Amino acid sequence: MSAQDTVLVVGSGPAGLSAAATVAAMGKKAVLVEKEDVLGGAPIISGYAKLVPSGEWAKDAIGRMVSRVEGDGNIAIHKQTKVSKLDGEAGSFTATLSDGKTVKAGSVVLATGFTHFDSINKPEWGFGTYEDVLTTTQMEQMVSSGQIRCPSDGRVPERVAILLCVGSRDRQIGREWCSKICCTVSTNLAMEIKEISPQTDVFIYYMDIRTFGLYEDKFYWKSQEEFKTKFVKARIAEVTKSPDGRLLVKGEDTLVKRPIVIPMDIVVHAIGMDPSLENPEIAKIFGVGLEKHGFIDKAEQYTNSQGTTRKGIYVCGAATGPDDIDSSIAQGQSAGARAVADLHGRQKVAV
Amino acid sequence: MAIHEKTLIDPDRILQHDHLVIDGVDVSGSWNTMISPRTLTDYDDGFEKVIQSYAGAENVHRCWQCGSCTNSCTMYAQNVDFNPRYWIYLIRLGLKAELLKDKDIIWQCVSCNKCTNICPKDVRPEGVMKATAHWLEENGLIAKTRSTMFDEEFTEQCIEYGRIEDTEVMVGFFKKSGQPLVQAWIVEFGKRLTKHLPLSQLTKMGMNVVFRPKTKSWGKTGEVLAEYVKAQKEAAHHG
Repeated sequence: MSAQDTVLVVGSGPAGLSAAATVAAMGKKAVLVEKEDVLGGAPIISGYAKLVPSGEWAKDAIGRMVSRVEGDGNIAIHKQTKVSKLDGEAGSFTATLSDGKTVKAGSVVLATGFTHFDSINKPEWGFGTYEDVLTTTQMEQMVSSGQIRCPSDGRVPERVAILLCVGSRDRQIGREWCSKICCTVSTNLAMEIKEISPQTDVFIYYMDIRTFGLYEDKFYWKSQEEFKTKFVKARIAEVTKSPDGRLLVKGEDTLVKRPIVIPMDIVVHAIGMDPSLENPEIAKIFGVGLEKHGFIDKAEQYTNSQGTTRKGIYVCGAATGPDDIDSSIAQGQSAGARAVADLHGRQKVAV
Repeated sequence: MAIHEKTLIDPDRILQHDHLVIDGVDVSGSWNTMISPRTLTDYDDGFEKVIQSYAGAENVHRCWQCGSCTNSCTMYAQNVDFNPRYWIYLIRLGLKAELLKDKDIIWQCVSCNKCTNICPKDVRPEGVMKATAHWLEENGLIAKTRSTMFDEEFTEQCIEYGRIEDTEVMVGFFKKSGQPLVQAWIVEFGKRLTKHLPLSQLTKMGMNVVFRPKTKSWGKTGEVLAEYVKAQKEAAHHG
């Protein structure tokens, strides 16, 4: 493989899988480097249930993307491997991998993803203190298992509360962004819970509901109208435990202007998307800049929309900021195509 | 969503006749209760800016009404009418008349700062409470607090003499706040002072009360100072 026919793709989540497949489809070679021992990224590693908006199980939908890449002769896959060094410049990069191998590539696509917010950083909401306080990821795993039960004693919950904006939109902990997908994921999760456990009532505590675009009726309205999810405009002050073992959700219902202390059986944190914990390292190795929140910074928005601050290196998916799977896939295609254009030496990009 | 909260109804909008007979039917008391509708007719567009001009309220415009401040509020736990989230909403929209309904409790903020620590937008609600209380006081909408009266007496003496005289400050403060000059604890305090203070010190204090000396070469300093303070206040609140 020469540098002139190869694109190095880092990360194999939806964005990276899409980028690699695009490069191969355009007749070039992709080298896909993944730090974990499985391909698929967050949806697979964190065990997401049904995806928004297709309703397809993550393992099926993303699994299809994985097998497309695995079965492609133009794509070389390195699992449990990281890029430890990148030399050269646009058109002739040489990457050194953590296993000592080197890869020559004309351009690079970063699809390094995000890190789920760690709820331990909001101790007042009881995660890590009470067994029945979970994150959306854990709840998705419970949905995948087909049974809705309280982790503490296995009882079927009468009531589940989902708290939105945990680790998003919060100056106190330096998360000055909306994680974009948690509202939709939560309304979807509410429906899944109700489907599996019809006797369980689901409450969503919100500051705003941001089921953007076509997610409005398909998720927000449907959840409210057909699945009877109750929406309460309140940001919860704290989650405590009552003597009978149930959780108590304390706050102000801002619409009735009254304090609330409501018993719940499970409390779910709709956790946000943090910049990948590895972004500082990634920025150093690849020589790309980070934007003010810590996500990978982008080049000129309109003529080089997948570009990073370094020529020849592109970025896609949640590495650039919170995003949904569909956009990540689209960005992967876009970054892949752009990276291939570089191999032809025809790029005239603004950085 | 309609708000069916009984306590949101102002008492003066409840119409009820104690004795009323219509067509021979006695509908006295609650049988004839009517509630006149409340319509908000306008916003005071400049109000948010006015409150923001007081120290502590600079970030009030950031509020998105999540209610974290009210949730965490020490006073709200005692009295649900003490609702910082609601007052911030009224300030932002300029619903002054609504805010004034709670004017007599806004000062009760104990500055525990739990709201400021939890607010996701860094509105600093504790500062807004203080600013609002100051605005209320400065505009004569609530009675002056004793601490303000003390501050005023203290400042007046500083400006006039370039110094303060403890006895004078206390006397002035008691006069301003309508407290009797002779109080048991003061009498006791005086007695012990006389007993323990050296005679020279006592004489000096007595002379100061009688002759009210000014700081050396104070001259026009007080006037200039007073003018400066006035200009600063005007610039802050009316600029």
